[in-house]
Amino acid sequence: MTVIDERPAAANGANGHRPPNVAVRDLSQRFGRTRVLDGLDLEIGRGVFGLLGPNGAGKTTLLRTLATVLSPAGGSVRLLGFDPSDAGERRAFRRRLGYLPQSLGYYANFTVFEFVEYFALLKEIPAARVRPAVARAIERVELEERARAKLKTLSGGMLRRVGIAQAIVNEPDLLLLDEPTAGLDPEQRVSFRALLREFGARGTVIVSTHLVEDVGAACTEVGVMDRGRILFRGTPDGLVERGVGFAAGDSPLERGYGAVLAASRS
Amino acid sequence: MGGMHGHSDGAAHVATCADCQARAGLRGLDVDLNRVWIGVAGEVWAREVGWVERTAGRLLRSPGLARALLTTPSLLLSWLLASVAVLAIGVLATHTSGEPWVALLAPGLAGAAIAYAYGPGIDPAFELSRSMVVSDRVVLLARGLAVFALNALLGLAASLVAGQAVGLTWGWLVPMTMVSALGLAGATLARSANTGVAVALAGWAMIVLAGRAETRDLAAAVTPGDLLPLYFVGTALCLVAALYATNGRRSEVTLWR
Repeated sequence: MTVIDERPAAANGANGHRPPNVAVRDLSQRFGRTRVLDGLDLEIGRGVFGLLGPNGAGKTTLLRTLATVLSPAGGSVRLLGFDPSDAGERRAFRRRLGYLPQSLGYYANFTVFEFVEYFALLKEIPAARVRPAVARAIERVELEERARAKLKTLSGGMLRRVGIAQAIVNEPDLLLLDEPTAGLDPEQRVSFRALLREFGARGTVIVSTHLVEDVGAACTEVGVMDRGRILFRGTPDGLVERGVGFAAGDSPLERGYGAVLAASRS
Repeated sequence: MGGMHGHSDGAAHVATCADCQARAGLRGLDVDLNRVWIGVAGEVWAREVGWVERTAGRLLRSPGLARALLTTPSLLLSWLLASVAVLAIGVLATHTSGEPWVALLAPGLAGAAIAYAYGPGIDPAFELSRSMVVSDRVVLLARGLAVFALNALLGLAASLVAGQAVGLTWGWLVPMTMVSALGLAGATLARSANTGVAVALAGWAMIVLAGRAETRDLAAAVTPGDLLPLYFVGTALCLVAALYATNGRRSEVTLWR
């Protein structure tokens, strides 16, 4: 299987001047007899990287591995220049990490502020900066009106925004978001994309999503995954070009995504 | 809210409204009103930190760990009151029957409390917790030790009130350690606190009943002697099982399925 790499030549990490924020070599993950990630190589620099793929492609497992929730079964990972297999470096890396899991469990009786504050404390943000940082994160996801509301009273979309707030509370240099726009209404998604671009301008954002339009609107790069491997990486425009002449799909990006998957399975 | 000119008086509005800033004479001043608003909002929205949490934060040198400790389900006041009630019943039963009910109840209570201390089945945000600087293992250790110590203190107080023999007063500490480890292992392996409680109580009941059947003495399980090696080996095995159950790979396999 050939990986189609249509990155610009000057992409971060490829020009030899600046080490990539995410450097993955021959990464594998296996659960029982099932191989979930299969010798995956990936380098990602500054910007917003969209991760597309069907269910079971390995997107969530990749994000869990990058979030250091899961240790690699094989291969090596360097994140923001740190080696997460070393306990001290892992701690240092986690200070600069923001992570939104696919299913965010929450404490029903916590308020929005308490929930975000709890994770700010666990991220060891200096005590004097915790409250302003939490307030700022809540403001950024536009939940000021519900800051003192208990989580059990919030809608699914609001809970997703609470999850995003805890992910960005430490101003992370690497932001990993697994299906962040699930449950957000169109207006909130537009605001959220602006937030993605803001973080992508100064660090690395990796977004796993099923919504192709999110990729087109916010991502500087896109990767298509299937069966634990990256099938394509390049710009959204590059993916669109791949779909020229492909019939299935309602938008140019969807056609590009479909064409890449179809080519890999033929 | 809402001044005569139809604008809000809120700091958030003033921070972005040039008209309001001009009216308030703030235009041209070097004041970052948004920053001021964020600072005020953080203080208004936060709940006051109690002295217990402040003290724990200083002792542990980690406000995050202190907050994690004080949010342990089995350290909440309602749980502690229930534990005191159960032990009080044990004291009464000991006085009326002459059997060592406090010594028999204390390990079971601790096992249940530890099962509700921490882990993938108890913490709804466990996956997120695993990506934090204060690691989930440190939280597990702090919560486990705190819950165990508190239950040991409650058991000791109840034993003294019940007037048990000195040997029995201390005899339940070792089995309590094993039953607690059993509860933790059950809860983390099954990803369910209730399962942990069931495993701890069933395991303890079996040991007590087996001891009673062999010696015709209900206190056999809490009388130090031949059972000590079993308790130590059991504790070690259960702790290994709990460590395995809370490592990333095991959690991931369960999530993925």
